[in-house]
Amino acid sequence: MRKHHHLATAALVSILALGAGVASAADGYKVVSGPGYLPDCFTPFPKSAFFQWAKKPGPYRIALVNGFVGNTWRIQMIKNAKGYASEPGVKDQIKEFAAISTGTDVAAQVAAVDNYINQGFDAILTDAVSPAGIAPVIRRANAAGVVMINFDNRADSNKILQVNVDTFEMGRIQGRWMVDNVKPGGRILEVRGLQGTGADRDRSKGFHEIVDSSGKNYEVIQVVGNWDSGTSHKVTADAIAVYGHFDGVANQGGSDGSLQALLDAKHPMIPIAGEGENGFNQMCAEHEAEGLKCLAVAAPPAISSVAIKAALSALQGEVMPQDIALPLPVTKAPNFKQGISFFPELGSGFFPDNTFPACSVDQSTEEIMKQVVE
Amino acid sequence: MTNVRIWLAQNYAPILAGLVFAAMFATYATKGSAGWQVAVLDTAANKAVALALISMAQTLVIITRGVDLSAGMIFIMTNCIASALVTGTPGDVALGICGVLLAGALAGLCNGLLVVFGRLPSIIVTLATGSIYSGIALAIRPTPGGSIDEDLADFLTSHLFGAIPTSLVLLLAVVLLVWVPFRMSVVGRHCYAAGSAESAAYMSGVSVSRAKLVAYTLSGLLSGIAGLFVTFVTYSGDAGATIGGAYTLNSIAAVVIGGTSLYGGAGGAIGSIFGAFTLRTIDDLLLAFGLPPLWQPLFQGIVLLGAVSLGAVRIFRLRNRMEVFQ
Repeated sequence: MRKHHHLATAALVSILALGAGVASAADGYKVVSGPGYLPDCFTPFPKSAFFQWAKKPGPYRIALVNGFVGNTWRIQMIKNAKGYASEPGVKDQIKEFAAISTGTDVAAQVAAVDNYINQGFDAILTDAVSPAGIAPVIRRANAAGVVMINFDNRADSNKILQVNVDTFEMGRIQGRWMVDNVKPGGRILEVRGLQGTGADRDRSKGFHEIVDSSGKNYEVIQVVGNWDSGTSHKVTADAIAVYGHFDGVANQGGSDGSLQALLDAKHPMIPIAGEGENGFNQMCAEHEAEGLKCLAVAAPPAISSVAIKAALSALQGEVMPQDIALPLPVTKAPNFKQGISFFPELGSGFFPDNTFPACSVDQSTEEIMKQVVE
Repeated sequence: MTNVRIWLAQNYAPILAGLVFAAMFATYATKGSAGWQVAVLDTAANKAVALALISMAQTLVIITRGVDLSAGMIFIMTNCIASALVTGTPGDVALGICGVLLAGALAGLCNGLLVVFGRLPSIIVTLATGSIYSGIALAIRPTPGGSIDEDLADFLTSHLFGAIPTSLVLLLAVVLLVWVPFRMSVVGRHCYAAGSAESAAYMSGVSVSRAKLVAYTLSGLLSGIAGLFVTFVTYSGDAGATIGGAYTLNSIAAVVIGGTSLYGGAGGAIGSIFGAFTLRTIDDLLLAFGLPPLWQPLFQGIVLLGAVSLGAVRIFRLRNRMEVFQ
């Protein structure tokens, strides 16, 4: 019976293919064995395959297709990318660098990537709007021999280079610190990120993996802060109003909102694990004397710069891990210092840590701030 | 000669929308560095066809003097259903496609029943049902994912005979199989009559209830086809409610650009298709001219306002479809 189905499928496909321009699915890369290029920078996740493209002569045309653009992280990420693309030593390898944002419509991002494939760009970087919805263009980019690299929001695919931080580990880092700093049986407020995204799911899973198995019987209350300071502030204030007292807070993003809500409610100082944004880091330093204890972990927007570096390396024919894990910068009390962990003159949503030393990516705040997001 | 003049007068808005779109697209294709090639047409068509179908769906409801705020939500709901059903053996795929279209039509029928027998304003009914459909979508796909027959998907998002985007052929087929028969039918004319002057139509013996039920059901079906099509474009289902909302609002804008009166009773789906194409080309044009992404919503708004005014200048003054025939 199954055989008949296959026959029928084959027949249907061949009928469909007749007169239709169905692209063959030959991939532009070869799967090779490791180790890869610059292993301290392009550290593979365990089980990652290794890809190699044929060496192409430069300079190259590179496009960055971002989706959602309405938060500080995304805007800074584009600024980081533009800053890095215009650095001496990088600039001369790039003939054209285009950066666009399509909004959260998957079809629009797919079309934008298609446009760059049609225009013959050498490499296309994406921050996937949908982990699954990007699959058709991965197929077409590979068929066209375009180096496609996805960073930040993961794509559910092992046929594309991915540059990311370990989102599970971000959750685990916060979880471990909570377990070390909150008394057994304590009540922890977990402020989650944007629902429906892989990053929120993974970070929460990593957090619970540590906290639930700690044997310390924590009571975890979950609220949704959407990685946004305003939303975090509201949901944290609501939670304090309902539960009265917490022994620790773990916030995925927009953490200054949660901290501000604690201060506003005159809540006793408790350990708070947040994301390493300028405002949060600064507040942690300012209230340290009153007994506030913080941990900050960040996914630096400079991931986009490393993605450009990965694209250039792949175009030069280097062996690249398919799934690259970048190190996570962690700051713990009492290490919150002005000029390193925070810059009072910049907005609260700025991400101060823009260094990946192993990748020779070290972007100054001046370089990032002077970029105009076009 | 007078026949031509009458035809022009009756179809002024869709013709204008078509011309605006043609001018915009020609500028884009000439200006964009990929130039004229079939892949560019494929990309543009794939991006535009889903919105065009939802705009057709919106047109049917607006003709009856309603508005469908759930069109985008039926779209994402059927997208999520398709990402679960349209896979497996060719038989499964065919059954799955029928299931998706049925779900869309059923959702439209529910809207129609509530509007007709609940005697509620369509804007409230569809706001509520839209939320329900979005909830169903989230229940099916809490996170984006799913799979679809990739060969079929690639076929439908590619081109035929090396020149014609398959998605446009599909759109044409929908126009010929759904819109044209509806427009020519008695019940279709009843929809126009009901939208133009409901009480007059009722007094003249028009079954207003039946006409509205047909319009809402077909509208749901068209949104369902759009949901199915976007599944082919993305190989997956995504229950993002913001996307549903954006498609709904854009579909209303496309309808207005295409010259259908928001007061009901005048206009048609062909204009809306060009309206949708125009809207989608605006985005492409902004990119081709290298406008800053953070400024794009501003420019989109300005261009949209201009396009809507052009299309609506005449039709907004219409209170009765009979005026078009003068």
